[in-house]
Amino acid sequence: MPRAGCIALPRRGSSAGAFRRLAVPWARGERRRGAAARVAAGTLAAIVACLVFTLVHAATPPKVIRDVFPVAESGFDPPAANDLYSAGVVHAIFDTLYTYDYLARPAKLVPGVAAALPEVADEGRVYTIRLAPGVYFQADPVFGNAKRELTAEDVVYSYKRVLDPKLRSPWSFLVDGKFVGMDEVVEAAKKTGKFDYARKVPGLEAVDRYTVRLRLTATDYNLPYILAHDALALVAREVIEKYGESDGRTMSHPVGTGPFRLGEWIRSNKIVLERNPDYRDVVWNFAPGAPGDEKLVAQMRGKRVPAVDRVEIYVQEEDQTRWLAFQQGELDFLNMEGPLAPNAIGPDGTLKPELAARGIRLDRFVEAEIRYVYWNWLDPRIGGTGKAQIALRRALAMSYDAAAEARVILNGQAVETAYPIPPGVVGHVPGWKSTLTYDPALANQLLDRFGYKRGADGWRTWPDGSPLVITYASRPDTLGRQLEELTKKGYDAIGVRMASQRDRFPELLKLEKQCKLASREAAWIADYPDGDNFMQLFYGPNARQSNTGCTAIPEYDALYRQTTRMPAGPERDRLFMKMARLLEYYAPHRLTVGRYRNQLVQSRIEGYRRHPILPSTWQYVDVAPAGK
Amino acid sequence: MWAYVVRRLWQMIPTLLGVVLLVFVLFNLFGGDPAYVLAGKISNPEQIDNIRRQLGVDQPYWVQLGIFLKQIVTADFGASWSTNEPVSHILATRLGPSLTLLVPLLIIETLVAVGLALAVAYVRGSLTDRAVMVVCTVGLSISILVYIIVFQYVFAYKLGWFPVQGWGDSFWTNLVRYASLPILIGLVVSIAPNLRLFRTFVLDEINQDYVRTARAKGVSENRIMWVHVLRNASIPIITHVMAALPGLLIGAFLLERFFSIPGIGREVILAVERSDFPVIKALTVYVAVATMVVNLLADLMYKAVDPRVQLE
Repeated sequence: MPRAGCIALPRRGSSAGAFRRLAVPWARGERRRGAAARVAAGTLAAIVACLVFTLVHAATPPKVIRDVFPVAESGFDPPAANDLYSAGVVHAIFDTLYTYDYLARPAKLVPGVAAALPEVADEGRVYTIRLAPGVYFQADPVFGNAKRELTAEDVVYSYKRVLDPKLRSPWSFLVDGKFVGMDEVVEAAKKTGKFDYARKVPGLEAVDRYTVRLRLTATDYNLPYILAHDALALVAREVIEKYGESDGRTMSHPVGTGPFRLGEWIRSNKIVLERNPDYRDVVWNFAPGAPGDEKLVAQMRGKRVPAVDRVEIYVQEEDQTRWLAFQQGELDFLNMEGPLAPNAIGPDGTLKPELAARGIRLDRFVEAEIRYVYWNWLDPRIGGTGKAQIALRRALAMSYDAAAEARVILNGQAVETAYPIPPGVVGHVPGWKSTLTYDPALANQLLDRFGYKRGADGWRTWPDGSPLVITYASRPDTLGRQLEELTKKGYDAIGVRMASQRDRFPELLKLEKQCKLASREAAWIADYPDGDNFMQLFYGPNARQSNTGCTAIPEYDALYRQTTRMPAGPERDRLFMKMARLLEYYAPHRLTVGRYRNQLVQSRIEGYRRHPILPSTWQYVDVAPAGK
Repeated sequence: MWAYVVRRLWQMIPTLLGVVLLVFVLFNLFGGDPAYVLAGKISNPEQIDNIRRQLGVDQPYWVQLGIFLKQIVTADFGASWSTNEPVSHILATRLGPSLTLLVPLLIIETLVAVGLALAVAYVRGSLTDRAVMVVCTVGLSISILVYIIVFQYVFAYKLGWFPVQGWGDSFWTNLVRYASLPILIGLVVSIAPNLRLFRTFVLDEINQDYVRTARAKGVSENRIMWVHVLRNASIPIITHVMAALPGLLIGAFLLERFFSIPGIGREVILAVERSDFPVIKALTVYVAVATMVVNLLADLMYKAVDPRVQLE
């Protein structure tokens, strides 16, 4: 087979052959000589062109970019990968029906392998999605070493798989209870131990080769966001059945339709992604999303995606090693987290001049996350809607110096948060003024007023006269200790004794899921860029799941239920604001900070912009030509 | 001798059972419940139960202990809870990088330390001896972490003599390019204590009557030191070196972590961070078995080195 780019010679039955057969007899000899000369010249030209092409390509080294993970990957099966870094690799190898515009901010949903955004009917309960034809899984022995087209049946299979109990997907909550008829299949699988993939489910229907219809049990306007989540990336049943491991997961043999395929893999050490030769034709064509994007767009527009041939990812847990390797040019990207940040970023949040002089760039934004200290709603002394309890929680909230957490503990790499929906997420309200701010004086007044009297030793008591002690739980690591100290400092200022509960993360998680932790700082990173993903954290029925403080405020819950039936828009935003005020009034928690993501990029990388939701964007960048 | 070997092998069984019991109790007391971490961000009690059932941690303790014992007998520890990678594959693939780093380190460190120990013992009490001992004491007092940070910064980053980190798929590339700096750091850290220790072993022998007799007979100093003294000092040296051998199976945690070497040491830390009990179990058992086997080999080597030793 000729290499791409070589000129193919005319074959029997081609137009050149036809021309020869039509030539008149008297001119046949002369024309034959002329034709022979032309064929010879054409052959020579073809050989020269092939040689030049081969030489040029042989001389052009592959474009390689090098990234680093601070935590080891777990594996690359979309619904089973349970860490952010594995999700980055999954995103590079697999496709989802929908994805996000690379540059648009806030994040904007666009078709992935779907032909267009879904047709929504029955008030957000029925979604009809058409797949773009010509999307192929990379060639694999399971397909006879050929590529295989993605079909609607693959979508149905992939979505069913997320709910297979045997797979114990950490992302099953995204679709649990959503599709009509799926609960019965899942229940049957729990009983028999075998998931019936062949069983037809009305909620997940492959209408034809390229059309999928999803019927939901309830209105959900956020479904397209969920379909963009990497846990719902599309897999081929043959691959899973051939390479599946004992528990049904396929962590080590990913075969997807995405821009890259897995090359070399030294577990917990090095992951190499190679350009997928079977990837469809995708051209880089994004509009600027923010000021400063114009140069990036000019560099990249019109290039084929992916522009690079190879992505090398190293796993390196140590800050110093990552930092030195980046400075030495062994890495092209580096996220400057907490203790590392002051090495590269000044107090004003800008890149240090010596790094800027080397052409290194800083991409900085506030993460789509919230952090909050909660107090257990089910604790009879500090939880609930009693006025004394509300006053106590408000006082505790006002004693917490979130600005100090951002400034001191997180080295200035965070900002104080006021609204439960962070920046970059639909529903965020810029400039929101919370009524719960750091104010120890007001906190003291509130406690005095509600009968939390100070004893002779200066410590306050419960209104019944017993010693007032609030337990705060944290991890026994540096950050945990620092947060504990800051909390204690605040409590001391209002005369409230704090008891420490230090435990390892799995234990804290266990107690939290059982609503047995009195207080802790929790964090939530967006699964999808919609306010619902954050407001659900405080919805009563989500206690023992995502509602870490087990909050249950009836008015809040009623409003939340209303918002789930509404599409995003001003009307829903008004309800969100009302809910935010309720949270401030009842104070089941205190919002603390949102961290900055500081991504450093080497000068040789073109087209890079960190996306707030996508876990990786290697397919959208290029390497600058040498000497540029 | 064979009766001795068989008896020692029998004695390994109760020792191993003790190790198994200790690991099992410690993990169940302090290991935490992995189901809550594996369940992800949002999970309900039913899903947690499902995970616990699949991992087998919902079984009574005596059943779990029985499964553990069966795994030891069959040498099949299943798969990692977090990555699903078979534990046997983890051990097989991580051992190579650890050995690439630690075998040369152990050989060079032993040869250099023995050579230097003989030299400084020979000039005992001299300025050179005292200077070497002071340097060793200072070297001993500094944490390996400091050596790693400083050497990586100076030799890899500032001078560019070595890569900051990395690992490839060629043995020679790994040994020469990537393992050189970690080996150098390992040498700097380990030579000082070994040198001090081996020097005392040599000094104990230098003052013996047989050395005086050899000198009286006109034997050369080289022969006295390298043949007579070294042979007699080798029993405690062998004990020390053999005791270090099981350490090769555990790897060098910090060196592997800082220099991105995909060895066993790094895997141990990962397994502990992830509460990955199958990996922890397998590594503990293998290290315990290796320690016992190496101790037996050391005893047999005493006999080979010094025929006066009786195996009882």
